[in-house]
Amino acid sequence: MLIIKGLKARVEDKQILNGIDLTINPGEVHAIMGPNGSGKSTLAHVLSGRPGYEITGGEVTLDGKDLLSLSPEDRARAGVFLAFQYPVEIPGVNNTYFLKAALNAIRKSKGEEELDAIDFLELVKAKLKPLKMDELMLQRAVNEGFSGGEKKKNEILQMAVLEPKLGILDETDSGLDIDALKVVADGVNALRGKNRSFLVVTHYQRLLDYIVPDQVHVLAGGKIIKTGGKELALELEEKGYGWLTGEKVKA
Amino acid sequence: MSTLTAQEHYLSSFSQLEAKLPGQDAAWLKSLRLQALEQFKQAGFPTDKLESWKYTNLSLNLLKEFFTFEVLASTTVVAAQLKKNGFDTDKAHLVVFVNGKFSKELSSLKPLEKGMTVQNLASVLSNETVKAFIGKIALSQNKAFTALNTAFFTDGLFVQLEAGKVLDAPVHAVYVSTNGSQTTQSHLRNLLVLANDSKVNVIEHYWGENVSAYLTNVVTEVAMATGSTLDHLKIGQEDIKGYHIGSLIAQQEEGSYFASRLFSVGGALTRNDIETTLGKKKAECVLEGLYLAKEGQHVDTRTFIDHLSPNCNSTEVFKGVIDDQAVGVFDGRILVRENAQKTDARQSNKNLLLTKEAKIYSKPQFQIYADDVKCSHGSATGQIDEEALFYLQSRGISRDEAKKVLVYAFAGEMVEKVESGYLKPGLKKLVDSWMEVS
Repeated sequence: MLIIKGLKARVEDKQILNGIDLTINPGEVHAIMGPNGSGKSTLAHVLSGRPGYEITGGEVTLDGKDLLSLSPEDRARAGVFLAFQYPVEIPGVNNTYFLKAALNAIRKSKGEEELDAIDFLELVKAKLKPLKMDELMLQRAVNEGFSGGEKKKNEILQMAVLEPKLGILDETDSGLDIDALKVVADGVNALRGKNRSFLVVTHYQRLLDYIVPDQVHVLAGGKIIKTGGKELALELEEKGYGWLTGEKVKA
Repeated sequence: MSTLTAQEHYLSSFSQLEAKLPGQDAAWLKSLRLQALEQFKQAGFPTDKLESWKYTNLSLNLLKEFFTFEVLASTTVVAAQLKKNGFDTDKAHLVVFVNGKFSKELSSLKPLEKGMTVQNLASVLSNETVKAFIGKIALSQNKAFTALNTAFFTDGLFVQLEAGKVLDAPVHAVYVSTNGSQTTQSHLRNLLVLANDSKVNVIEHYWGENVSAYLTNVVTEVAMATGSTLDHLKIGQEDIKGYHIGSLIAQQEEGSYFASRLFSVGGALTRNDIETTLGKKKAECVLEGLYLAKEGQHVDTRTFIDHLSPNCNSTEVFKGVIDDQAVGVFDGRILVRENAQKTDARQSNKNLLLTKEAKIYSKPQFQIYADDVKCSHGSATGQIDEEALFYLQSRGISRDEAKKVLVYAFAGEMVEKVESGYLKPGLKKLVDSWMEVS
């Protein structure tokens, strides 16, 4: 399970996270919502180990393991997966090669045998179907020339292949039309299970109609200012964030 | 006590060596050698004051070594090593030179049909074709290393195809340098003569396994008649103690097709000059290359395409990866002369710098004197994309491995462009092993 205690972080001189406390139990889906600039994406980045952030306080553990001291690759091997808001295009690197290298790096770190090309292809083809992805995408360079929807599906495909303990979705709904959104949400829902948790970062409630969370947290000014059930998302959709951030000012 | 300069060292060596050089009974060659020596005397070694040597200062290293001409006999198991490196030499005409001399034992020359010749040059110096072309394509005037080569060359590859002849199996020439405590040198001369509509694939493969510093100075002359096709590939795999100076000079007649591909990974200092003259209409050339350098390596590539006639095409793509404190130079000149209307010339040079200390000097030069032409060029130098690096790491791939993946993604394009099934596995290994030890 993921435990975040008093997490503070900044970019250069700008303090962005001001003490986040959050516990996600195995099998739970937590949504993080909040206005622009509240620190939602920063939280996702800090958890995955993206360079450029300075941790100024607090701790993060996944199943008791200190995440913050690990390199990004070791976090991935420990079971963290970040679905990028803007998946990176990597010309010259074949999608199949990339996925296989990633899976085998993770398997190797666990002392498991690496998969050969044939076993891998069988596995990945089975994961493509529910995402309604064309096998030809495997032959293309990673994300190169992919549409917005294809890129997000490719992220979910990677998650399905790598089978993490914690999936972090960073505004996965941005840039998706409703059909693609449904496919992506179905892909995520298919991965839900009692040993896998999700942190869903989103600006809009819409995604949460499809990926129904156990808890919703509202982030503002780098802190969680309100926590509730899935109905909180609907309330936010109706009233906006103003009443909450206003409330915070009064308090 | 006076000390010899590098130039004096070569000049004084000549009189001692002259009688041992091949071609003693060919008067034309004797006078050609003497003339070249005189031209070398006139030119002197290039300094960085010359535009074409601006970024490669020889006085810092190469000219401090007084390489000897005496080389101890030495053997090496070439074919087995090549196979290990991914080249299935059973499928090629293997021509091996060790320290500048042809090795019959290490070579495997297959029988050829009439009208095709693959030989070592020293054995055919009485051949009229050799006389007609040597020194006529690669001129020695104002070119110190070409002049030295002409004066001192001991051997090299000779390929001649008569009209319409197509040699299917590639000619793989390997030039091994191997020495002990002595610093050594070899001057190699290659001559490729293609008659009308003939076709051949030639590989020049330079390779060193040395204890001491050495110099390889090579000149390749290429004569391409109407409609002929040459696929040429040069692999520079000199030892880290090696200095390699090479010139590949081609002359193309109507409708000929010349592809020159360079893969340079080795050598303390490497300089490659690649030049072609599109002398008659509808001639085409493709010049491609990949240079990889690390530690203190210096790799300098200079190309020159002379569009002399109308309706000719040239395509040029060079890529470099420079690591550590290494230095790369790319100087690509394209001259489109007044008469060369309907020229289509494209040039691209891309470099990847892996450290802050790594340097590249990229200098594309177009000189266009015709008005109805299509010409384009681009030069770009960058670093590894940190975003892409993080993306790969976030999927469990280690930072080191991720870097290799991204370097190969950049450099591998040049390997992928090579169509020959004979070459691809070996070239892939060459690039992979460069990354392994970097």
